[in-house]
Amino acid sequence: MSNADKFKQMSKGLDLAQAIFEADRCLLCHDAPCSEGCPADTRPADFIRKLRLKNITGAIRTIKENNILGGACGVLCPTARLCEEKCSAVFKSENRPEGADRPIQIGKIQRFLIEHAWQTGFKVFDEKPALRPEKVAVVGSGPAGLSCAAELAKDGFSVTVFEARPEPGGVLRYGVVSYRFDMNFFEHELNDIKELGVEFQCNSPIEGKEGAEKLLKDGFSAVFLAPGLWAAASLKPDAAGIDGLFSSVDYLAALRDGRFEEVEAKIKGKTVAVIGGGSVAMDCIMSAAKLEPKDVYLVYRRSYLQMPAESDELIEAQEEGVHFLLLNQPVDYVTDKSQRLKGLKLARTRLGAPDASGRRKPELIEGSQWILDSDVVIEAIGNQAPEDSTDWYPHVAVTDKKLIKADPNTGKTSVDGIFAGGDIVRGPALVVTAVADGKVAARAIREYLGN
Amino acid sequence: MANNIDLSIDFCGVKFKNPFLLSSSPVSNSAEMVARSFDAGWSGVVFKTLNSDRLPIIHPSPRMHCLHLGSQKEMAVQNVEQISDRPLKDNLMEMLYLKKHYPDHPIIASIMGFFLDEWVYLAKIAEDNGADMLELNFSCPHMCIEGAGHKVGQAFQLLEGFTEAVKKAVYIPVIAKMTPNITDMNEPAMYAKMGGADAISAINTVRGISEIGLDDWVPRPNVFGKGAISGTSGPAVRPIGLNFIASMAQNMALGVPLSGIGGIETWVDALEYILVGASTIQVTTGILHYGYRIVEDMIEGLSDYMAGRGISRVSQLVGKALPNLYETDHFELDRQGITQYDLDRCIGCGQCYIVCRDGAGQAIEWDAQNRRPKLIEEKCLSCMICSFVCPVPGLISFKEMPSDWKRRETEVMDTSLEKQIKIEPFTKEGPNACNV
Repeated sequence: MSNADKFKQMSKGLDLAQAIFEADRCLLCHDAPCSEGCPADTRPADFIRKLRLKNITGAIRTIKENNILGGACGVLCPTARLCEEKCSAVFKSENRPEGADRPIQIGKIQRFLIEHAWQTGFKVFDEKPALRPEKVAVVGSGPAGLSCAAELAKDGFSVTVFEARPEPGGVLRYGVVSYRFDMNFFEHELNDIKELGVEFQCNSPIEGKEGAEKLLKDGFSAVFLAPGLWAAASLKPDAAGIDGLFSSVDYLAALRDGRFEEVEAKIKGKTVAVIGGGSVAMDCIMSAAKLEPKDVYLVYRRSYLQMPAESDELIEAQEEGVHFLLLNQPVDYVTDKSQRLKGLKLARTRLGAPDASGRRKPELIEGSQWILDSDVVIEAIGNQAPEDSTDWYPHVAVTDKKLIKADPNTGKTSVDGIFAGGDIVRGPALVVTAVADGKVAARAIREYLGN
Repeated sequence: MANNIDLSIDFCGVKFKNPFLLSSSPVSNSAEMVARSFDAGWSGVVFKTLNSDRLPIIHPSPRMHCLHLGSQKEMAVQNVEQISDRPLKDNLMEMLYLKKHYPDHPIIASIMGFFLDEWVYLAKIAEDNGADMLELNFSCPHMCIEGAGHKVGQAFQLLEGFTEAVKKAVYIPVIAKMTPNITDMNEPAMYAKMGGADAISAINTVRGISEIGLDDWVPRPNVFGKGAISGTSGPAVRPIGLNFIASMAQNMALGVPLSGIGGIETWVDALEYILVGASTIQVTTGILHYGYRIVEDMIEGLSDYMAGRGISRVSQLVGKALPNLYETDHFELDRQGITQYDLDRCIGCGQCYIVCRDGAGQAIEWDAQNRRPKLIEEKCLSCMICSFVCPVPGLISFKEMPSDWKRRETEVMDTSLEKQIKIEPFTKEGPNACNV
């Protein structure tokens, strides 16, 4: 199997028998804790009971009516710390506080049900709503934009989604690796949204002076801003020209936008370092590890326990052969004359007192600098709003980090008729929280335009 | 496994190493199969029902279907299997092979004729070719010919006549296999006994429909667009089999050895049949599900059970539950109890609360804060349904209450409606017991 093939498809999900087996383990709790834990208000207790009672179409409807990206969330959600966290099937009791079993694999059941709908051709939204005259513009086609657009289309609004890139999806297309979430799966889910009547205008960045605000004058009654965070934070902003240095944003997009072979050629047989300790860093390093490098290093300035990545991701990375270089702070890049990357200059750290994030703060150790020879470095140290983003919506109040200020209960911004959600409001967050933002804003837009 | 445990049993004078036999079915279709089952530990076989080659036996296709319960496979199996479709000579050679290579494993030949001479022919020929016993198949549930299969089992005089003819023709013991598709099995069993049957085996499959295709509306198995009411077997029918064995074992007038069949998969299932009076048991569906290997666990499990109880011979267990089996009018209704909860082990799923509320006495309050049930003792009906759904074994148990304890009566929603009741008290004299 070629490396490209490894990246084409995600692994298969549960089949019907396995899903039923898993549903049979569910205790069908009276007050199911799983159904309190979802940011997007998914109720696993309901869809698992429906599956158990052979009401499979009802189970699918329960998921999809609540979350048009139910499939994506089933695959991508960190379920271990959301719906699955308090699952009773762990069998914790006074007598056995550590529990005795594993939680129901809710994400996997959810994914199965959505794939089952596609396989069987079951349509949740088969009735067209009464059309409304208002037009709504959604800026950005990531999970927040898609969720908002779908909700509004279900209400009969005519919705246009503006996407800067060639294809819709945002982070779902350009920000995750295919072996975790493949295009075939996403196209199915996207199709569910298109069938609701949502119109997509790709290659249509809404930028320039007041670009976003102008939409209100161009015939749109409301605007939902969900452009995401596509500018990469960088260790050394002036290092952009170095050959071999990637931002996580650019690297992950390159794997999906036709530059796969180019990336592969850079990594195969070479030494790769990824800077960062979050889930994006894990996606970067795991994908690099699959491209037959000589060595892959994860460089993180704190220690293992402070890493924000999910614990299963961290374990997987170690099993994939990633070297964890903890307590090392990147300081500078080493290049040759032709600006080709040769190494990463690091300084050792020790952990001090907790900082504002509650995690122990790394302190540099004097005189401990050393150079890690490396051909490729991927910086996965956070995404941010593009420098000029505030020009696109100058009247919308933003924070000092250029995140849009929006009411968490409505998505309302400081400008009447403009709503916002997703990472541009929260900073980097989960797909499911973006979905939740889209739903919240859609509800508020419906109220704004008059129920 | 304890060495001093004797699982052997005498059944109509024939000795079996243990009480576990293959029943007459696909699992006993050939010598190759039966030999492997003997190697696995089965003590004997009721060989698949012989036919006289008079009529061609052709199996419908597909011939079986099954019923799953959630992820639990094969709660029931549905079959339109026929008697052996192999030439009689082949079957006889197979029996001779088994007698030669497994002399310590009794062969019971199952036979089914369509009229007297055919029954007698098959009985004799089976005896002449090594059969240690006969089992008369009066019970195949999907024969349509009057005078065959379960139709005989439901026509008692015919059953008696065939048994009598067979008994006159052979020296070996004869078992009559009963259909459960009647109300009281004691009646045909007594006819069989009058005909001379030495033992009764029960049950054959229960007539049923276990699944219907929702796309084509054809009951399963779907034999090219046609379904049929056919034979249901497996764990789902075990309570029915136990009922029939127990009621025949209680019948002093019958007084013949019983071979229990119906839904047996484990040593516990087998033991339950033994406790209500079976001295051998027969298995098919358990093998269709798991293979012959299950006998290893039946032997080991039963031996350890006996060792743990200081019982050395399995025959000592036969019928042990019968003295405790009463008609319901013998119950002591002045003794009452309730459930009790070991909440230290509770995991907080609340299923007990749901079922008590919707199916019992609303005797549980839900402490949502701590996710724990709170029992209102005087409302508990002691139906025990909460314990059925509780995922923690033994958390909910039964306890007897003192004789002065009173259960609270179910409250009337609106007592102000009393003045609107239209009622005259019932005053007629009648019997005190429920005599119909």
